[in-house]
Amino acid sequence: MDQPIDTVNYFIAGYSVIFGILIIYIASLILRWRNLKKEEDILKDIEPSK
Amino acid sequence: MTSKPRLLKVLDITTFIFFILALLMVFFIAPLEKVMGAVQKVFYFHVAAGWVGMISFMVAAIAGIIYLVKKDSKWDLVGYSAVEIGIAFTMINVITGAIWARPIWNAWWTWDPRLTTATIMELVYFAYLMLRQGIDDPERRNRFSAVYAIVGFISVPLTFFSIRIFDRTIHPVVIGSNDPSAVGAFDMTSLMLQTLLFSILVFTILFADLMWHRIRLGQYMNRVDELKLKIQD
Amino acid sequence: MEHKTSFYKALKAVVWKDLMAELRSKELISGMLVFSLLVIFIFNFSLELSPSTRAAVTAGVIWVTIIFAGTIGLNRSMAVEKDRGCLDGLLLAPVDRTAIYFGKSIANWIFMLIVAAIILPIYSLLYNSNVFSPGLILVILLGSEGYVAVGTLLASMAVQARTRDILLPILLFPVIIPILIAAVKASNGFLTGIPFAELTNWIFLLIAYDVIFTSVAFMVFDAIVEE
Repeated sequence: MDQPIDTVNYFIAGYSVIFGILIIYIASLILRWRNLKKEEDILKDIEPSK
Repeated sequence: MTSKPRLLKVLDITTFIFFILALLMVFFIAPLEKVMGAVQKVFYFHVAAGWVGMISFMVAAIAGIIYLVKKDSKWDLVGYSAVEIGIAFTMINVITGAIWARPIWNAWWTWDPRLTTATIMELVYFAYLMLRQGIDDPERRNRFSAVYAIVGFISVPLTFFSIRIFDRTIHPVVIGSNDPSAVGAFDMTSLMLQTLLFSILVFTILFADLMWHRIRLGQYMNRVDELKLKIQD
Repeated sequence: MEHKTSFYKALKAVVWKDLMAELRSKELISGMLVFSLLVIFIFNFSLELSPSTRAAVTAGVIWVTIIFAGTIGLNRSMAVEKDRGCLDGLLLAPVDRTAIYFGKSIANWIFMLIVAAIILPIYSLLYNSNVFSPGLILVILLGSEGYVAVGTLLASMAVQARTRDILLPILLFPVIIPILIAAVKASNGFLTGIPFAELTNWIFLLIAYDVIFTSVAFMVFDAIVEE
């Protein structure tokens, strides 16, 4: 075989999946952290009044 | 909220730099495979992700054992984090495996032992999450999760062997295989081997980085829960 | 002076209790039996069980039936303990926890074997084919042991969850795939007359699985029932 088959599309698909899943997971970590921060701020506002 | 430890900041930067280096290596240094073309380059991160998936689940099983012995909930958090991260990386492994297979073997799925076992492993760890969701008492949830992490992990090699014996497969024996009858096998040059090993190293560092972040998140969650309880008093 | 009931006495007591209870109520076995028959009938209409193709799928049909009916038996067996509070009673007794585990597993195993013993002749009748072979019986013994070893362990956990009924199959099925593969391949081999020597791989896999999982369950069961 002289020329490799053209599989560039699959190459792109593969790397999209890799980046996609990693980004989604890291984003979920960041989002959960931010939500916790919001909750903590709300709770800290309530606490001093006790 | 505690601020990010300095070591973690260093690890973040290191992970990022190494990841970029690995990408460069895959894209520019690793040679183009003569039969499969560009898609073969997916192989490097595909294998690295599979590797991380396996060690995640091993970490979860070991954390489970330690938890059962020590009853320290910190180990439950380690196990839970490892399962979450393992699910993500195994998913990458399985999906990229299918993407790689499609142009080479003309099918999205060939039921070969490695990918099939990885999928079953993924199902075990989804079951782990469902087990956790179904139990409200935290101490019991931690204990049961530990038990299932151990049982699940032990089943994986057995599953792999059974499927392997079951199916004289067409999945290539990748490292250095020169067997022309193994469809999809390719000759690994030393540059390819180096790229693969480096990818595995980078993904391992990425695993450690994500674990640390996930564990911190869990600890933060616990602190906020404690705050809620204090206020209810 | 503390008398700890001997392990074997406790084990026998648990097995006997389950067998006697089942003898009276017959809930478990009748449920598993009816379910198995229904599964076979469903297979009859969903797969082509004409004589030519049947030989190829008999082993599979039998094992799918066993696995699904087994889930029902396991669920009921452990749910009964929890709901009637028997488990707490058992745990208060000065008895080695693992005796309870083995007792329950052996009882569950016996129930599964009884159901298999009834289903096999019925299958033979329905399809005019002889599915009796000593090899097949060996495979059913080995396969169901492994299934029950893991199943009893996981069922004890599942039954304490909110999502109890759906959770057991979700936990159990991925983990017993090695048994399924080995059991079906070996059963198929025996049913189609393949010599024993060629099936030893699968038999060894079944034995290995049984040993590994029975030991693991034995070591870990304590963690499930402690309070």
